[in-house]
Amino acid sequence: MSKNSNVKPDRFRELKLSLQVFFSNKSAVAGLIIFLFYLFDALILQFFPQILPFKHPYQLTPNYANPIPEPPSLKHPFGTTYPGIDLLNAIIKSIRLDFWLSLEIVIPGAIIGLVIGIIATYFGGWIDEVLMRITDIVFSIPYLVLAIAIGYVLGRTLQSMMIALILVWWPLYARYARSVTLETKELTFIEAARAAGTSNLKIMFKHILPNSLPPVFVQISLDLGTIMLTISALAFIGFLPAANLPELGYLTSLGYGYIQTAPWAMIIPGLFIVLFALAVNLMGDGFRDVIDPRRRSEL
Amino acid sequence: MGGWIIKLWQYALRRVLLFIPTLLGLTIIVFVLIHIGGTNKLLAMYLSPRLTGAARQQIIAELNQKFHFNDPIYIQYFYWLAQIFQGNWGITNTPIFSGPVTQAIEIFFPNTLILTIFAAILIWLISIPLGVHTAVNRDKPSDNVIRVGSLTFYAMPWYLIGIILIIIFAVWLKILPIAGTVNPSMVSDLSWYHNGISYPTHILLIDALIHGNFMVAGNAFLHLIMPSVTLALGVMAALVRLMRGTMLETLDQDFVNFARAKGVPEKVVINLHAKNNALLPVITNFGYLVAGLLGGVVVIEDVFSYPGIGMWLTDAMINNDMGGIMGGTLLFGIILVVTSLALDLIYAKIDPRIRY
Repeated sequence: MSKNSNVKPDRFRELKLSLQVFFSNKSAVAGLIIFLFYLFDALILQFFPQILPFKHPYQLTPNYANPIPEPPSLKHPFGTTYPGIDLLNAIIKSIRLDFWLSLEIVIPGAIIGLVIGIIATYFGGWIDEVLMRITDIVFSIPYLVLAIAIGYVLGRTLQSMMIALILVWWPLYARYARSVTLETKELTFIEAARAAGTSNLKIMFKHILPNSLPPVFVQISLDLGTIMLTISALAFIGFLPAANLPELGYLTSLGYGYIQTAPWAMIIPGLFIVLFALAVNLMGDGFRDVIDPRRRSEL
Repeated sequence: MGGWIIKLWQYALRRVLLFIPTLLGLTIIVFVLIHIGGTNKLLAMYLSPRLTGAARQQIIAELNQKFHFNDPIYIQYFYWLAQIFQGNWGITNTPIFSGPVTQAIEIFFPNTLILTIFAAILIWLISIPLGVHTAVNRDKPSDNVIRVGSLTFYAMPWYLIGIILIIIFAVWLKILPIAGTVNPSMVSDLSWYHNGISYPTHILLIDALIHGNFMVAGNAFLHLIMPSVTLALGVMAALVRLMRGTMLETLDQDFVNFARAKGVPEKVVINLHAKNNALLPVITNFGYLVAGLLGGVVVIEDVFSYPGIGMWLTDAMINNDMGGIMGGTLLFGIILVVTSLALDLIYAKIDPRIRY
């Protein structure tokens, strides 16, 4: 990863090789295709909701006249869940919310972590010690538990869930950035830059940061799945009270009361959570193969 | 060798010294969370809502003496910390428990502990053989099936695994109980069981064995199966993948090829030479993995209505109970900080490859 900063290789050939590695991994390609479906759904609903025949694209539409879950039929291909919500519609709406929410959590989390990790390692000494201690502390509380505590303080809404998860998500990235920066810091081109009088800020963010990006990119891809699972777990245990939000975890919790008579009401939205988490995991493993040939053989 | 020992001691000392600021930092985070609300939320944590009138005023005055509410916030922190150290963690008020936070921990934590231990044993028993099997049968159908299967469980929300198990084993097959720790009718007239709490260890399974009541012990065991299997399935993939990776690396090494060339049977090469060498990095990660199970406990205990710390915490969340939420957060943090200190020290001792 660090080679390309020293000597400029043929970018086009490098890209071609990377694509070859990625596309030779069938499960990674399958993951990518599933991911693109979710992305497509999220983009359409976010920017062109008028294409779809939804009266309320951003909220659930309950039908209290017929609240009991119905099995899949022609009218409701995935069946309905309590209270009379068509599952197909609800899932299409939920994917939009979950997709953007995951991105809105993982990107700020990664940026905060990268900045902290790079600053800590570059300056070293007590700054490093203090920042890494803070990272350890946040890391030491299970993120679900810390999110509950922050949710209590901020009030349990979708907004506070997002803030809470950003606040618990950065430590991993800080550690990543730290380990990469430790390696990069000692390389000759950084020393050369320093000797040439380049400012610290420029060295950190122009020379060191790009080198830590590929592994971070893989981690972001994997984390999209973990965050989706975390959001749905929080929604399931009741973090969002009476939300009426199109959110996959919340949809599964609606079906919870009917697992004996209407298992689909819980299984089908659950399946869409699993599919996404599985897809981004496979895709992330494919990316990892591209940047780290040693791991090419591992799933 | 001597130099190495000194280095180990230096490492241990540094690690123990770093433990203190980490623990203090943890309490600062919880303290800040308690005080962010603007009004003094600390009162909510130590004041029973049932108190009214003069009694309430008197308690507030007493609390003021302990916590010095009128001092600057950084001074208040030290008074609060002193109370925490004395075991005064506040009051919790949830449908499943009302009373001092420390007492709630005393009742609920043993249940969480036994659940985690069961899950840890299961993870070890399932993952290691699967990891070895997939490495030895690399890229064969069974390898692919196991890898995709464990990854699928990894990609499933924990509660969904639990609910699928409930549908299969409790609703359809009717062979495992859905919720709780024991069938209530079995413990209704026992001398060592009151209000859902067993004595003396608060772990029903162990208490039943102590008192020689094997029927109850068996029933308690049945109640533990589904939650611990759920917990194990959720994280199994990580260990299977790790074991597979290290096993593949080991199988490629010279000493393994040498053993093969010497004519050692392949079974012995795999199970004795390669496996034992591949286990070390796996053991190192296993501890952290099990410590990480604590996050999953929150969701799983809620699904199975299993009265542990996690169920108490979710109950506290739904009822906006400050004492339960902050007590639970502090407890989970302390457990993980202490465990990771212990693990780091143990691994530094047993694994000479760790560099400090």
